Amino acid sequence: MIELFNVSKQVPSGSETLTILHSLNLTIPDGQFISIVGPSGSGKSTLLGLIAGLDAPTSGDIRIDGESIVEMNEDVLALLRGRKIGFVFQSFHLIPALTAFENVLVPMEIAGVKDATDRAQQLLEDVDLTARASHYPSQLSGGEQQRVAIARAFANNPSILLADEPTGNLDSQNGRHIFDLMVEIHQRRSATLILVTHEHNLAARADRSIALSDGRVVADSMGTENEDLAEVVSS
Amino acid sequence: MNFVVRMAMREIRSSWRRLLFFFICIGVGVGSIVGLRSTLQNANSALVSQARLLLGADVQIDSTRALDEAALSTINRLAQSNLVSGRTETVELPTMARPNDASKEGSLLVELKAVGPGFPLYGDFTLADGRRFDSQMLEGRGAIVGQSLLERLSLKPGDELKIGEAAFQIRGVISADPGGGTGFRLGPRVFIARSAIEETGLAGFGSRARHRVLLSTTEQSLDSLVKELRAGLKSNLITVRTYKESEQNINEQYTRSENYLSLVGLVILVLGGIGIANVTRVFIEQKKKAIAVLKCLGATSRRITVVYVAQVLALGAAGSVFGIVLAKLALLGVGKYFAESLPANMSQSLRTGTVIQGLVLGLLISFLFSALPLLRVRHIRPNLLLRNQDDTLTGRGLFFSWGHLRSLWRRLFAHHREMESTEVAQRNPGEPRKFDWVRWSTGFMVLAALVAVFSWQAGSLRVGAFFLGGLAATALLLQLASAGLMWVVKRTRHIQSFPVRHAINSLHRPGNQTRVIIMAVGLGAFLVIAVQSLQRNLLLELDPANRGNLPNMYLIDIQKDQKAGVEKLIQDATGEMPELIPTIRARITAINGREINLGSGEMRGDRGRLGREYVVTYRPALEANETIVAGKIWDATPSTDPEVSISEDIQGLQGLDLGSTITLDIIGRKLTARVTSVRRIDWRKSRTGFLILFRPNVLDNAPTMYVGGLNGPSDDLSRSRLQRLVVEKYPNVSIIDVAEVIQLVKRLLGNVTLAVTFVGGFVLFSGTLILIGSVAMTRYQRAYEAALLKTLGATRKTVLTIVAAEYGLLGLIAGLIGSVAALALSYSIARFIFAIPWSLEPIVIVAGIAGTIALVVLVGLVSSLQSLSRKPLGVLRAP
Repeated sequence: MIELFNVSKQVPSGSETLTILHSLNLTIPDGQFISIVGPSGSGKSTLLGLIAGLDAPTSGDIRIDGESIVEMNEDVLALLRGRKIGFVFQSFHLIPALTAFENVLVPMEIAGVKDATDRAQQLLEDVDLTARASHYPSQLSGGEQQRVAIARAFANNPSILLADEPTGNLDSQNGRHIFDLMVEIHQRRSATLILVTHEHNLAARADRSIALSDGRVVADSMGTENEDLAEVVSS
Repeated sequence: MNFVVRMAMREIRSSWRRLLFFFICIGVGVGSIVGLRSTLQNANSALVSQARLLLGADVQIDSTRALDEAALSTINRLAQSNLVSGRTETVELPTMARPNDASKEGSLLVELKAVGPGFPLYGDFTLADGRRFDSQMLEGRGAIVGQSLLERLSLKPGDELKIGEAAFQIRGVISADPGGGTGFRLGPRVFIARSAIEETGLAGFGSRARHRVLLSTTEQSLDSLVKELRAGLKSNLITVRTYKESEQNINEQYTRSENYLSLVGLVILVLGGIGIANVTRVFIEQKKKAIAVLKCLGATSRRITVVYVAQVLALGAAGSVFGIVLAKLALLGVGKYFAESLPANMSQSLRTGTVIQGLVLGLLISFLFSALPLLRVRHIRPNLLLRNQDDTLTGRGLFFSWGHLRSLWRRLFAHHREMESTEVAQRNPGEPRKFDWVRWSTGFMVLAALVAVFSWQAGSLRVGAFFLGGLAATALLLQLASAGLMWVVKRTRHIQSFPVRHAINSLHRPGNQTRVIIMAVGLGAFLVIAVQSLQRNLLLELDPANRGNLPNMYLIDIQKDQKAGVEKLIQDATGEMPELIPTIRARITAINGREINLGSGEMRGDRGRLGREYVVTYRPALEANETIVAGKIWDATPSTDPEVSISEDIQGLQGLDLGSTITLDIIGRKLTARVTSVRRIDWRKSRTGFLILFRPNVLDNAPTMYVGGLNGPSDDLSRSRLQRLVVEKYPNVSIIDVAEVIQLVKRLLGNVTLAVTFVGGFVLFSGTLILIGSVAMTRYQRAYEAALLKTLGATRKTVLTIVAAEYGLLGLIAGLIGSVAALALSYSIARFIFAIPWSLEPIVIVAGIAGTIALVVLVGLVSSLQSLSRKPLGVLRAP
């Protein structure tokens, strides 16, 4: 379970302070598929980053499975991510020096998993990339790179999968494929899936949709009218 | 561990090309240290193995005077005992030789060596015709001479040679004589029989002959023989040396020069280290995203840092091995091309000890210089992956940039500059910066380790610390100078020419390491220009045309009763009256009443100055080049009270100062004198100077020899005739022709200059390596910029002109800084160490700066060519 209590985030901008998130409260139960929508600059990616411990909130508390992560240092957070959290980025962020196979292998090596190679092969097979295992990221298409990134995100069997506009850099056909793949794996492994997206048709397929605007939650499909949400999504 | 090793291997697999430079830096540095040390150690062992040959004996008894009865009876007693297995005697002295045939021109200063039966005890003495030397060859006034004597005096074997009062028949030409192949030589060697020395009339009273008794013995008896000899020969005028002590002396000398020379190697390695720090910094910068991804995937900062440390160590090890291969090649080259100037039987193999040292140093320097840049791994935040921020390279000079100095205080609490963009987003407003103790303690440890490394290599903590300090100060000065020049260059941005304007902007390109390049290239240029300038000044000083009215000939060994005759002879021949100065040879036997004991601990350090023979003189007043710094010079009236004036150079020697007493042994007679003044001698204005000067009267009847300089004819032939004239009449008088000595010195100087230029060239090479590295690191940016310029209508020529202008400016600044520093150094050395006048040599400066510019432009253009020639579209699509 992921819980956010009065989470806010401010950054200095010149001589002023810019508030990206305003005192946010949110509870996400295990196994839920949640989509976060909103216009650019509304704080979606920041929210995702805070949940992954990639950034620290200015105030408030974030708990993962009851454990507060805001006071954890970088290294403890890294270990937590290695164990519990998978991340898929809009621009893939594969390590260019490593082959597709090695990119999938790395998180398991970091965690010291025993049968890492077998599992990496299995994961590549899951995303239908066995044939491309020895290719470097620069030799793969955008869709293929994102499939490697998804295989990597699931490497350590995380209970939480965070995806930051994973289809944003892909054409609609590839985007659809990637989305289906994530949903399928989420269902198969019953992991929590939090998806930041611009595309309301994708957002609509989630169990729950949250709309952000100017750093505030303006709509939550749990307990909010769906029309309001659609309005926010399309704006 | 598994993850660390695998990850490091994968990284090297993909980025070895970018790190090739790292590898070369270490290779060149390690290669120079291993090569220098191995060469010197090989030379050392070759010489040490010859120590017995050089000494010509197991034990050598050496005296500047003929041995007295007591000494001879001690030696004879021991020579007859079973301690000694062989014995011979020699007398050596420099003197004049001339053809016995009066119709033949010329006379020549030779090193006369009169040897007794049984010579040589050790070593090979062979003649040019292949015969082995036999002392019987010298019987009945025979002589064996060096080849150059025959050439200089137009003589051939069978002809007669006159030395002193006696004529000798030349019976053979030396091919190799024991101990003859090394050292500085005034003239060719001439061997005659020991028994013939009296007939020459040269070994008598007042002569500068060295009398030696050579003994051979067994290894077991060596120590007891020496003990007995030293007990029996109490006089401090006689020294007893064993080949083992001379081995030890050679060892000590070589260890010292080895340590100093390997500091030069270390400088090259440290320059390589600076290159490494740059490569590492830019490398980490390029790997920022990959590092952020690893953090995102659960890797801790420490593990990632270890991944990169492992890469650094792997590359350092590979580079060190490469350096060892380079050293081996260099050794083979040295053995092949410099065989003549190296000791015979010198090996060209690498020394195991130096190989291990090289490996350790290579790894240490790799690690130390990459440690600080690697710490940046800690500050790379995974959240940078969420932002599509521009990931261009930023950053400035490495250690000493102005900006860094300015922000030193800020950095106490800050992470690195280029991290700030990510860091600011991470840090919440109002949150104080933390003191980065890891960075500071690492920096401190790196510094301490460098001091330790330098001290280890120098063989002394003090020398090591000073050397490192000097290096840091030089680097800082070069940095400041380059910062200043860069500032000036920046102010000229409004210049008309587009390429030059653009080039000036490029010098400030982020990640360009302009200052580091200037420092490294400037340092190399500095060494090369300094030694060239110094050499030119020394040569100028040695040029007879620039010597003003300094004497070009010196007459020595004129006896008292010959003084008037020599003066008249010279005056008749040249029209000039030579000024002959009385000299008396003396040894210090006590200072302030305390006996000199060279064996005692506190006097060991002054052994050189206490044990030597001093040439003293007397006169009523100071010379023009002397000034009194303490006390008062005597008035012109003679005094029976022994009174001396000492030079500053021996002031403080075992407490010797104004008011001290000094006891001198003058041919067996002890004379104690009071020090009543201390003089400063301006050596520049004269070629003679006396450390100990007596008040007239006391020494008037002492055994005196006269010396004097004279301005002889300027052409060689007339000088040679004058020499002959003097020698015919006064065979014991030696004449030193300054022109000949200068030839010798010039040759030596040429060798030294070549060696230093070679080292400077190496440093310059390291500088260009840094330059190449910097170009490689900014390659993508350069390609991108060139593509943009081409898209905007610039021709290839314009783009090339911009690059050439950029490197031209860089070379100009480095050359300027290097030459100014070089002039300062060469001036200081010329004035304060060699004490010769110094003149600006514009040709050296112009050639130095032009050479530096040409080198930098060439290297810069060649290494940029690839990125400049890419097609614009491809670059702009995927830079």
